[in-house]
Amino acid sequence: MQPDSRHFKANAEAALREPRLQAALKQLELGFVAGRQRCYEALPEFESLRDRARDILDHTLENLDAYLLEYESRVIASGGQVHWASTPQQARAIVIDICRAAKARTVIRGKSMVGEEIGINDALEAAGFEVTETDLGEYILQLAEEPPSHIVAPAIHKTKEEISDLFFEHHRKLGFTQRQTDRGALVAEARQVLREKFLGADVGMTGANFLIAETGSNVIVTNEGNGDLSSTLPRVQIVTAAIDKVVPTLEDASLLLRLLGRSATGQEITAYTTFTTGPKRAGDADGPDEYHVVLIDNHRSEMLGSELRPMLRCIRCGACMNHCPVYGRVGGHAYGWVYPGPMGSVLTPIMVGLDEAGHLPNACTLNGRCETVCPVKIPLPTLLRSLRSRQHLQRQNSRLARIALSLWTWVALRPRLYQALTRPAMSLLSQLGAKSGSFRRMPLASGWTRVRDLPAPQGSTFQARWQQQQRGRK
Amino acid sequence: MNGAREQILTQIRSALGRAELDSARTEELRQRIARHPRHIEPAFDEPAPLRFRQKLEAAQASFAALDSLAQVGSEVEAYLDQAGLAKRLVVAGDELLQSIDWPASIDVRPWVAGSDERVSLTSARLGIAETGTLMLLSGENNPTSLNFLPDYHVVVLTADQLVLRMEDAWDSLRSCCVEMPRTVNFISGPSKTADVEQTVEYGAHGPRCLHVILVG
Repeated sequence: MQPDSRHFKANAEAALREPRLQAALKQLELGFVAGRQRCYEALPEFESLRDRARDILDHTLENLDAYLLEYESRVIASGGQVHWASTPQQARAIVIDICRAAKARTVIRGKSMVGEEIGINDALEAAGFEVTETDLGEYILQLAEEPPSHIVAPAIHKTKEEISDLFFEHHRKLGFTQRQTDRGALVAEARQVLREKFLGADVGMTGANFLIAETGSNVIVTNEGNGDLSSTLPRVQIVTAAIDKVVPTLEDASLLLRLLGRSATGQEITAYTTFTTGPKRAGDADGPDEYHVVLIDNHRSEMLGSELRPMLRCIRCGACMNHCPVYGRVGGHAYGWVYPGPMGSVLTPIMVGLDEAGHLPNACTLNGRCETVCPVKIPLPTLLRSLRSRQHLQRQNSRLARIALSLWTWVALRPRLYQALTRPAMSLLSQLGAKSGSFRRMPLASGWTRVRDLPAPQGSTFQARWQQQQRGRK
Repeated sequence: MNGAREQILTQIRSALGRAELDSARTEELRQRIARHPRHIEPAFDEPAPLRFRQKLEAAQASFAALDSLAQVGSEVEAYLDQAGLAKRLVVAGDELLQSIDWPASIDVRPWVAGSDERVSLTSARLGIAETGTLMLLSGENNPTSLNFLPDYHVVVLTADQLVLRMEDAWDSLRSCCVEMPRTVNFISGPSKTADVEQTVEYGAHGPRCLHVILVG
């Protein structure tokens, strides 16, 4: 998809005025956030699991080349093929070549964020293949011609009525002449329509939650079972996976699985967790004849060599966005590309460019909730701050911001001057605001006060109080 | 795209500030894989069969405990009756299931590719108590399709097939199989989705109902 992150501000403002979206986002707090909290409280080992997960993934990244080669050799030994792609263009070309060589006509897809990242659907359709998304959320969005707005629950912004309309419009020609309005009936109708697609498909594409170096397996985690039908029924299976998905052993994956479901949807384990290794074996009752893995870099090796390396630990649970006050108000589409929320605000500038996505690292209050809930302890606020620094150093922030920051730096590096300026200012503001406790208007702060009150400072500055306290101790 | 392979590996090494690992270090990593160390395994107090059952039922699977394999036939018949289903099911070809004596009233068929059956009966290789999870392996007599295509999935396992955790399942698999089966399914409940307004509906693509029969 074409990135639209440069319009973050306008998109966010529009999202704030969209009541249906606001209602859907409120549900997040009741669903995913509360679910994760229940899991967290029920598992005393949660914090030690997070530490160990971080260590395992750091160890893997430290030896990424070796583990990828080990993984590759195991896939080949099990009869599969491994393809490498530095760029989304290369990845798309590889997938299209595999489909052509297999004389395929129809492709079904299980949900894959890296598939979205490389824009595989449009490329396959342009090459003449019929592509069907099978994850219910992704299928709804395919009909609506919209990108996902959440990495775990892609159609979180769609209401039941919108889905009813979409199904009625698209399924009528398939003989479903009744507009269904009941949730269960909608799910059943999609099941029926998609079942036919599954049974007729030539190629099944899935992503991978993990790749296992020990066995050459790919792991997919779903509740619907669509990933399994996609892996089992077609005669060709293609797995698209980023290079940072590899972990050394089955035990390493087991540890990460304990964190993934709990952090994502508040489930100790999802309905289906499947380890797939190579094509069907001699004598096997079913399974594909061909098994391909496309390993995709797309700037990840570049991140590996930078201060953003911890981002490569991400297991795509979505907890950071579920707990983000910004995502919780503006939703996923405002971010303008595949990955929204805190993790997206780190990834998007790297994958589509800081010039396109410069707003994203700034769309953050640095409140730190994302880091607190991240199952692999990615210091997201630190990474976002470092992108802001990059922006400043590359002169990609606004001239006004640069001047203001330079001025502030100059003053902040001179403590006496800083105190001489801030103390009277704070004291004045605290006196002016003493009555109501906040300001409705403030010169130079209209960006803030236009939509909310600015709390008045309560007395003197921190430094003044600190000094006073220190004197008191003596 | 061999060029991309070399390019990616070179970039990874330069990002890590080193050359390709020497053979001693590579051997160390292989040793780590061969040892496959276990990590933190959450503690639980309940006996394994109880935990297994509670977790499955919490995930909306139904559960039956039988004393012997001889009772499976009448249990399945009762299940079909209760669900208002025709007395017909497709049964995987493995040994455990082949030894069941079926009542004449049930039409039991072997699996044929492309058939459209409402009810399947398979065995599980193992049950995992920690999460209430079934482990099913693909093979000559165990088509993966049977775990996903029918509306009703009935799974039989014996009490000695219960283990505590996923890690125990891996050890068991390593001791019996030279290589990974093509598909290892961990199933922890019926198929579901919350993609319509974040409300759970069962039977998204896989079975709407999962019935687990623990024997012994």
